[in-house]
Amino acid sequence: MSHSELYVEIDRSAYTNALSKSSPITKTFFALSALIICVSVQTFIVPVVVFIICTILILGLAKVRARLYFNLFVYPTYMLALSCIFLALFFGSGANLIEISLPWFTWSIFKSGLIMSITTFLRVEGALSCLFFLVLTTSITDLCVLLRRIHMPQVMVELSMMIYRYIFVFLEISEQMSLAQTLRLRRSGWLNRIRALSMLIGSLFIRTLDQGERTLAAMNARGYDGDIRILEDFASPKKLVLLGIVIFDVLLVILLFLTLNIGVI
Amino acid sequence: MLFSLEKLSHRYSDGTLALDEISLNFAQGERVAFLGTNGSGKTTLLNHLNGILKPTSGNIYFEDKPLSYDAKSLLNLRKRVGFVFQDPNDQLFASSVKQDVAFGPLNLGYTSEHVKQLVDDALTTVGMSEFTDKPPHFLSGGQKKRVALAGVLAMQPEVIIMDEPTSSLDPIATSDILHLLLKLNKEKGITLLLATHDVDLVPLFADKLYILNKGKIVSEGTPKTSFSNTELIRKVNLRSPRIAHLFEVLKKENNLPIADELPLTISEARREILRLIDQAVKETKKTSN
Repeated sequence: MSHSELYVEIDRSAYTNALSKSSPITKTFFALSALIICVSVQTFIVPVVVFIICTILILGLAKVRARLYFNLFVYPTYMLALSCIFLALFFGSGANLIEISLPWFTWSIFKSGLIMSITTFLRVEGALSCLFFLVLTTSITDLCVLLRRIHMPQVMVELSMMIYRYIFVFLEISEQMSLAQTLRLRRSGWLNRIRALSMLIGSLFIRTLDQGERTLAAMNARGYDGDIRILEDFASPKKLVLLGIVIFDVLLVILLFLTLNIGVI
Repeated sequence: MLFSLEKLSHRYSDGTLALDEISLNFAQGERVAFLGTNGSGKTTLLNHLNGILKPTSGNIYFEDKPLSYDAKSLLNLRKRVGFVFQDPNDQLFASSVKQDVAFGPLNLGYTSEHVKQLVDDALTTVGMSEFTDKPPHFLSGGQKKRVALAGVLAMQPEVIIMDEPTSSLDPIATSDILHLLLKLNKEKGITLLLATHDVDLVPLFADKLYILNKGKIVSEGTPKTSFSNTELIRKVNLRSPRIAHLFEVLKKENNLPIADELPLTISEARREILRLIDQAVKETKKTSN
């Protein structure tokens, strides 16, 4: 999947998944509590459990397409794998696992460094699955309403709402512009591509300024006074589900303490 | 009079004179169309009626009071005079249909229960209630246009101004919007002001027509009287509705005895054709007797 396809697919999933109508409070509470527990541990088991549970919820309960879900992991995992390799190679102390001796220099890979690298990898992947759960099941509108309810600064919420909306407008415009360039036989070659891209970015920038002005006029025409008010209207959380999440979190913490010692190879 | 314009002129900051001493009046419940080519000043004129633009000179009276431009009076005006923009992407800024339609009524300070009711009603009126929670980029052009209209309807205006209501819509969506507007006019008594360059649309919709050319009003009257002046219509680079054109040709080239006021719509054409046939039958009877 290309980048823009991926964005559109994530967005589509947020509106069409089987959990889209459930309360954003519940979904956010689940994702954030699992995320916090997942990143606050130094063991292997808890992140793996969180990852499995989130994956089951996303694929089984929310019925998100597996291809989309696993595609989301591709880019972060590249980055993560690189960082973890460096963690394993250069960090740690104490007993060394492998020692490479050269006449002028000894390079050790430590056991603690290797453990750190693996736990970091698992923690991040677990945390990602929590975030993807939130992103794939909850629409931006619901998140904005939620952010307003927990008293996030208004300007941030307004900005995210409008940026979200106009990403899609300009995505479409830039795709059209790029297509128009291709159809008028944009010459190949690196320099020509850069030149065409710079033209595209330039005219897109002008379009955004223009769009901003016209949208402001349209907002003024409906009585805009500097504050965008949001209609707070979404499903309220079910107490039973919230209780279930709390029990799940408690179980995770218990598991965490039980596995504290197993965590080390 | 609901709106009176008195020698309204507008000059843009780049020096173009977009409106040149325009004077006109509309009464409540009228369906008014502004016809003109691109750049004739239609949009500029309509932008004045909702306080988006201020006149360079001249006066605008709403219910016999001059418009004032402080925040409170503007809010008051905009509650009563809604404006639907040409490109729905300009107007739909919120992340979901519901939030966008709720924007106007929330600005009027209504409680959220009341706003929810207004949003539901407006979306039902335009037939978009099943899209309440969808983001605007999921919608087609015609659907976006209807949501934009709902965003204005939710403020319960007495006047709706629409700039090119049918541009870039397919035939079905065009006819849907048209019927919706006529229904609003009939059932709720909403005054409709439309800018368009779709000449075939005008006779179906308007009971009053202004033709603009280079910032001036060149013709004023019912669609029938205005379109009968075919010379003027050509001079300002417009054309007659297809049906009127057909009857004009039949009259000129084939010397058929067609009425001076050319038929503009299908139903008028039907009536005229039946009248001609009737007349011809009578004449043949006379001659055969």
